[in-house]
Amino acid sequence: MATYAEMQQIFDDIRGDFRYDHELNGCLNCGICTATCPSAQFYDYSPREIVQLLWTENVEQIYDAMQEKIWACAQCMTCAARCPFKNSPGGLVAIMREVAIKHEMQSAKDVLRPFGRVMLKLITTGNQLSPDMIQPDHFPDWGPNIQKVEGDLRILRKAIPVKTLQTVETAWEVSLKTSVEMYTIWEMTGVLKSLELMDENLFDVIEDFIDEKREDYEEWLEEQEEDDD
Amino acid sequence: MSDQTPGNHNQSAAGAGAGTMKPGFHNTDGQGVAGHGSFFQATDLSREDAIKATDWVRKHVDRRTIDLGDRMDDIREHMYELEKDGQIIIHRIGDQHEPATVKTLFGWEKKIPTKQLWHHKSCGQCGNIPGYPTSLLWFMNKFGFVPGKDYLDETDQTSCTAWNYHGSGIGNVESLAAVFLRNFHQSYVSGKQHGHELGHFFPLVHCGTSFGNYKEIRKYLVESAELREKVTKILGKLGRLVDGKLVIPEEIIHYSEWVHVMRDRIASELQTIDVSNIRTTAHVACHYYKMVHEDAIYDPDVLGGNRTAIITSTAKALGAQVIDYSTWYDCCGFGFRHIISEREFTRSFTMDRKIRVVREEANADVLLANDTGCVTTMDKNQWIGKAHEQNFQVPIMAEVQFAALACGADPFKIVQLQWHASPCEDLVEKMGISWDEAKKNFQAYLKEVEAGNIEYLYNPELAYGGKA
Amino acid sequence: MSQDTVLVVGAGPSGLTAAANVAAAGYKAVMVEKEDVLGGAPIISGYAKLVPSGEWAKDAIGRMVTRVEDDANVTIHKEARVAKLEGEAGNFTATLSNGDTVNAGAVVLATGFTHFDSINKPEWGFGTFEDVLTTTQMEQMVTAGKIACPSDGRVPERVCILLCVGSRDRQIGREWCSKICCTVSANLAMEIKELSPETDVFIYYMDIRTYGLYEDKFYWKSQEEFKTKFVKARIAEVTASGDGRLLVKGEDTLVKRPIVIPFDIVVHAIGMDPNADNPEISQVFGVGLEKHGFIERAEHYTNTCGTTRKGIYSCGAAYGPETIDDSIAQGAAAAGRAIGDLHALVQKAS
Repeated sequence: MATYAEMQQIFDDIRGDFRYDHELNGCLNCGICTATCPSAQFYDYSPREIVQLLWTENVEQIYDAMQEKIWACAQCMTCAARCPFKNSPGGLVAIMREVAIKHEMQSAKDVLRPFGRVMLKLITTGNQLSPDMIQPDHFPDWGPNIQKVEGDLRILRKAIPVKTLQTVETAWEVSLKTSVEMYTIWEMTGVLKSLELMDENLFDVIEDFIDEKREDYEEWLEEQEEDDD
Repeated sequence: MSDQTPGNHNQSAAGAGAGTMKPGFHNTDGQGVAGHGSFFQATDLSREDAIKATDWVRKHVDRRTIDLGDRMDDIREHMYELEKDGQIIIHRIGDQHEPATVKTLFGWEKKIPTKQLWHHKSCGQCGNIPGYPTSLLWFMNKFGFVPGKDYLDETDQTSCTAWNYHGSGIGNVESLAAVFLRNFHQSYVSGKQHGHELGHFFPLVHCGTSFGNYKEIRKYLVESAELREKVTKILGKLGRLVDGKLVIPEEIIHYSEWVHVMRDRIASELQTIDVSNIRTTAHVACHYYKMVHEDAIYDPDVLGGNRTAIITSTAKALGAQVIDYSTWYDCCGFGFRHIISEREFTRSFTMDRKIRVVREEANADVLLANDTGCVTTMDKNQWIGKAHEQNFQVPIMAEVQFAALACGADPFKIVQLQWHASPCEDLVEKMGISWDEAKKNFQAYLKEVEAGNIEYLYNPELAYGGKA
Repeated sequence: MSQDTVLVVGAGPSGLTAAANVAAAGYKAVMVEKEDVLGGAPIISGYAKLVPSGEWAKDAIGRMVTRVEDDANVTIHKEARVAKLEGEAGNFTATLSNGDTVNAGAVVLATGFTHFDSINKPEWGFGTFEDVLTTTQMEQMVTAGKIACPSDGRVPERVCILLCVGSRDRQIGREWCSKICCTVSANLAMEIKELSPETDVFIYYMDIRTYGLYEDKFYWKSQEEFKTKFVKARIAEVTASGDGRLLVKGEDTLVKRPIVIPFDIVVHAIGMDPNADNPEISQVFGVGLEKHGFIERAEHYTNTCGTTRKGIYSCGAAYGPETIDDSIAQGAAAAGRAIGDLHALVQKAS
């Protein structure tokens, strides 16, 4: 359990985000956000409650909501489209999730563990998802007929008449230079840092991968120079 | 059309005729939009009373025309100011992009470029529903577009990374903004490699979440000098500035907007199959019309302008029936992280709030969508329903795939329906296309692929910056 | 000179009152009304019983119309607009759309409001489903004496009224409270129940603003005597179910659960927009509009009923959402200001 000061700090970090005033103007407590929220139908989750807690600066309950509730939001942003005050409860949840990660909350770690595979793919390749991830053994509940034509994934992908899509490990072919540029973005914006806070093992794997890719790129550049000479 | 002013109860018995809409009453004559429409049937009010009751709407005050002054901000105006101020470069839509003009929610105008497009792909579509991009490129070829001149598909792009952000909270506005600007800078300069001017290719965003995210990020970039300063450093380091400035596109364009403005040409120039017997339903992506929703397309001739025109407009142009259903506004249940780690939610929501309703209420032949997560969610979660006594299925695909089928595209080679789990074969058969034959042909083609004889929609060299 | 004449623009409750008061004080009133009937929104839109008097609109407002029609000091131009206004306080010349010219020392803008057009809240089903109505249409049904679903004529089991349609909504640039809809809706709920005892009425609200004496007379009474159910919830969307009934999606915020409830009729309690002609009115008369688009009010304490231009006054719903009773009071006040200032001009000149 966090101390009051820690909880206050968490709230201050949420409030300190430059989007905060943009997305929270007050609250009429009309419930339109919860009315239209898919998650509210399924979980003990209410965007109105999140807004109300933030607006009334209830730091203890905010901390409590960050344990589980904020992860129920489906981020569809219907709430933001409906709110007569033009708040964005979904946007506030996004800020709260960032702050949960920044504070290394155990709840965030637990919730994000199954997300590791996507994260690995995204951070290393710049794609969120790839054909080899959407396979029956990964999603048994999607059924045995996930595809209508049996065959080698590699060949099936080659039968897509678009060059960039004939890949298996990425959704499309991303050039090496592009990937390397993206790693710089991850580093300069603190994304790798927050990944390290969340999952050290995953971070290590990703770092090795990035180093390798950078070396590949350097080599490639040298080759280019040699070719030019 | 004064006789169809909303609220103006039809004053003649004709109002109850063909094409007349009643909640729950789904016509099948292909006239009008089944289940929708500003059609009001005869009431118990006398003619005089009925006219009197709705008299006040003689002067139609529409939010799509009302002057909202400075109370409803149009971010583009601030963007033009920043450009004038020398702070940014706007990637403009020019005559060479042959733009079509549409109206958005508040009646503002939005230019949709129809040519010289830079395909900004969707990782979920490419990875999982490749029929989206292939159908789109196929259409462009059908219109005689020259790859490398009229469109470009290349390897120098990453996904928007917003799926990850919305799912995990890893990432931040800065990283999202830098990714956005990096990709769109590449779009801006990409023409150079192919012998064109800067800004030749305008980005066409395939993914709904990318579309919503980029618009939100653009808003923050225009509003926050601090954010601009931070990302300028990053983009500078990447060599992704032009004259030391950030490049921001004039409009963010979603592929379904391109389909929307091309729908009449698609129907009149390319359509080969009559689809008037097909009962379609629409699911428009939340991130298309709910995020930065003032930018979504509304058309008074589609659903009375009461709902976003996207998807419905295309189905209607093709002559298909469009059936309303009670959970039209609901999200699909994707949830970004939910599809991966809260599967029970995603499955239950999509089956109960979407598939069941379009099956039982609308008796639909197909549910058309315009985004990545929606198709994946609604398509892949039907099988498990059987285990939960949810014995209903509906084919799921993008409107551009449906349109391609209607224009004679191969269900496998082009529309790539082999990647779908929902019963798309039922729809294909109902459209008069032989699924078995197409499948046989495709399996024969796979042998060719294995032997290295691969067909392409464009010269593969173009993907790497090579010449056409 | 025209210092004995006041030009009154608009013949609704406030304009009719202003003209009557100008004439009663021995001055001349010239009324210009764009419609072919006098009475303003209550007559043109066919209101049923007025709040709080309970009198039928055609009777109550009818008396006000007769009063000015019978007054020799009131000249009335129907189906006319002011096309041009020249001159200054004490000496205005107005050119009307019918070609007539009016010389007047002062002008009272009693130009009222425009009903919010529900089509601008499309997710609430108006214009899509025939059983979605506005309060104005429901009042018509009350006037006609029978409550029935427009779709098939059946007697509705359940009717709901959605408050704040076109009010208190930043999404559509209408941040104001329209002031009277809560009371009108409670009144309408009672009227529905009176005519159709088997119909249950639910009202969905964000806050209930039956202020002052309206509290027990409407809010409490509608519950105690007519069993109207008030639910604190703003509806997200209205759609239709397979059986033809309407579905409203909300959160009962006090019970804290999302709900989807079937109804036979959904009524929009539509708010008051600025008069749709205000941009034109602003130009012709040279008066400013406040940020929402209503007529801008001058400093109120010593320049009551003033606008941004000297010699031009305003009253009632032209300033912002207003009740009929208060519009009438303001009409009298504007008349007082106009003739008082004219009197002062004459005094000064002599």
